Amino acid sequence: MNTASIFFGKSVMLFSQIFNLGSGSTWPGHIALKLNKNFISDILKNTNAKIIIICGTNGKTTTGRLTTSIIRENNKTYLQNKAGANLVNGFASTLIRGSNLLGSVNKDYIIFESDENALSKVLLEVKPDYLICLNLFRDQLDRYGEVDSVAKKWQEAIKNLTDKTKLILNADDPQIAYLSNFTKNKSYFFGLEKTKETSTIKHGADTTHCPKCFEKLNFSTVFYSHLGIWNCPKCGLKRPTPDIEKFEYYPLPGTYNKYNTLAAALFAKVEDINNSKVKKAYECFTPAFGRGEKINYKNKTIQVFLSKNPTSFNESLSTVNELNGNNVLLVLNDRIPDGLDVSWIWDIDVENLINKEWNVCVAGDRVYDMGLRMKYADIFSHVEPDLEKAINNMTDSIDKDDTLYILSNYSAMLEVRRILTGKKIL
Amino acid sequence: MKNQKTLTIGWLYPELMNIYGDRGNIITLKKRCEWRKIKAEVMELNVGFSIEKLKKCDILVMGGAQDQQQNIVNKDLQRIKKELAKMIDNGTPGLYVCGGFQFLGKYYKDSDGTIINGLGIFDLYTENPGKDSLRLIGNLIIKPSINLGTNTIVGFENHGGRTHIGAELLPLGEVISGNGNNEDDNTEGAIYKNSFGTYMHGPILPKNPELADYLIQLALKNKYKDSALTPLDNSLEKKARRSVEEKKKL
Repeated sequence: MNTASIFFGKSVMLFSQIFNLGSGSTWPGHIALKLNKNFISDILKNTNAKIIIICGTNGKTTTGRLTTSIIRENNKTYLQNKAGANLVNGFASTLIRGSNLLGSVNKDYIIFESDENALSKVLLEVKPDYLICLNLFRDQLDRYGEVDSVAKKWQEAIKNLTDKTKLILNADDPQIAYLSNFTKNKSYFFGLEKTKETSTIKHGADTTHCPKCFEKLNFSTVFYSHLGIWNCPKCGLKRPTPDIEKFEYYPLPGTYNKYNTLAAALFAKVEDINNSKVKKAYECFTPAFGRGEKINYKNKTIQVFLSKNPTSFNESLSTVNELNGNNVLLVLNDRIPDGLDVSWIWDIDVENLINKEWNVCVAGDRVYDMGLRMKYADIFSHVEPDLEKAINNMTDSIDKDDTLYILSNYSAMLEVRRILTGKKIL
Repeated sequence: MKNQKTLTIGWLYPELMNIYGDRGNIITLKKRCEWRKIKAEVMELNVGFSIEKLKKCDILVMGGAQDQQQNIVNKDLQRIKKELAKMIDNGTPGLYVCGGFQFLGKYYKDSDGTIINGLGIFDLYTENPGKDSLRLIGNLIIKPSINLGTNTIVGFENHGGRTHIGAELLPLGEVISGNGNNEDDNTEGAIYKNSFGTYMHGPILPKNPELADYLIQLALKNKYKDSALTPLDNSLEKKARRSVEEKKKL
């Protein structure tokens, strides 16, 4: 039965690749699951690969890539889901792609980035060795719903884990750390080392109240959004002590990437992978597409930061500040993968994170909405509905040694990349 | 500056009712005052705020929140209910979005049947038809019920509750595209005295500056008996509104 599913699935995959019908990354899995609803568990029975599931609002792709770079450096093999194939059918497709016709996956690891809303379903099918939970922020409220409701689903899903799953959790995100209360399994925590960061929660933070008793939380340190050193004055719930809080080398700029770096390094630590290998992997790390990726265009450097919700946008802007940037192009789309609602741009801390002296241009399907956001922060911006023109004008306007920073949400990032590289990736 | 006019904008529960970008309404009111040399002070009214602070406000604004947060707010609102009702009845202009709009009604029936009493200031009630019913989500375009100098108001709705307004209550507008208060009667929002309730995020004011200016004028009239406003360039605002209409092929 599964041999037939795999053969058929692989044919569909090949067919859609040859005829360029999108990436062909979810259809084969969809069909295999129709033919056999236990397809995933059947295939996994025949494999010794360790399974790692990564979830969270921001940083999944980067953490996945950091993890695979460590695995490669450790001379092990892996199978990973392709971009966008992050629902149950994407998992099945990944297995079809990576298995031989006898239905077994001969790899050391299988790594799967799970969509926030799909995690419950994925965990019903897949019993991972590692579950890495990064963070929960408001994101596409029209599609995902509110943070608390996503957190509740995860709490339920975690109750179904078997003994073998080790959890790798963000100690600094109250909702994520609290997940450890819903399982007897061993949880390991990553968090940032206390520095002289601010202790005020800014607008746009999501989990400001205790996930257990709903009292307002105390934060002695805030690293960004609601990530920090926290405790509940009422029920006593508090940030767990991290098992890792620094690493000797961070391959990517931005505080948010420190968390991704630590999450992958903690996985390596628990998996007993030598620290020097992790360091080596990080030293030759290149970012995933659109996640701080540098692209050479017309002999100028363009750096693209996926910025898809208030927190990721704030963190991208903070990173541009850290890098002393002053040329930014902000691209906002409202297609299905972005969420149709663009209200969230008013939760970005534009007023404090964009300098009025910067050279700012806005573009995208919702160019006028982004233009208004700038106008109401008293920031002058070039409003350019034509994305290609916007990119070219901005590129031409910067000095040779300068960098143009492009912040865009998902579908806009794909478009930006297509223009910059001349290639379509998805 | 001598004789500078000042307005105090009361932002109800910014720490809890803040997740749908509705802060944009506060920013818009403030900027549109400042660009006209009217001083605008934003008064944040978080859980436990003093009634004296509330009384100082010339405009009130309230957004939407998650369920748990709304429960906390609802408890606190009972404490200030009388004063808030008095201000609304006396004509303090206000904008109440989504959860804020629902609170002003008689009650909210949750998806599991639990009834949460509202403030009973607006003649309306809201019911969530149950866990299996769809949320009403999408771009929303209406024709305003009062003359604001624009034929349309646009926004984005995202709500599970269906609101039914009393026969005497004027809706904010008639639905051209989207759902509004419910799927059935083509009404969106409500207007009572100088208070406006709506399901529109987006947020509503940046793309509908006529409504923002109307609220400012009402506040100026109350405070200074003079509602004259210097005109501002709204071309970008209108383009943004137009782009939503074009999505709906209007």
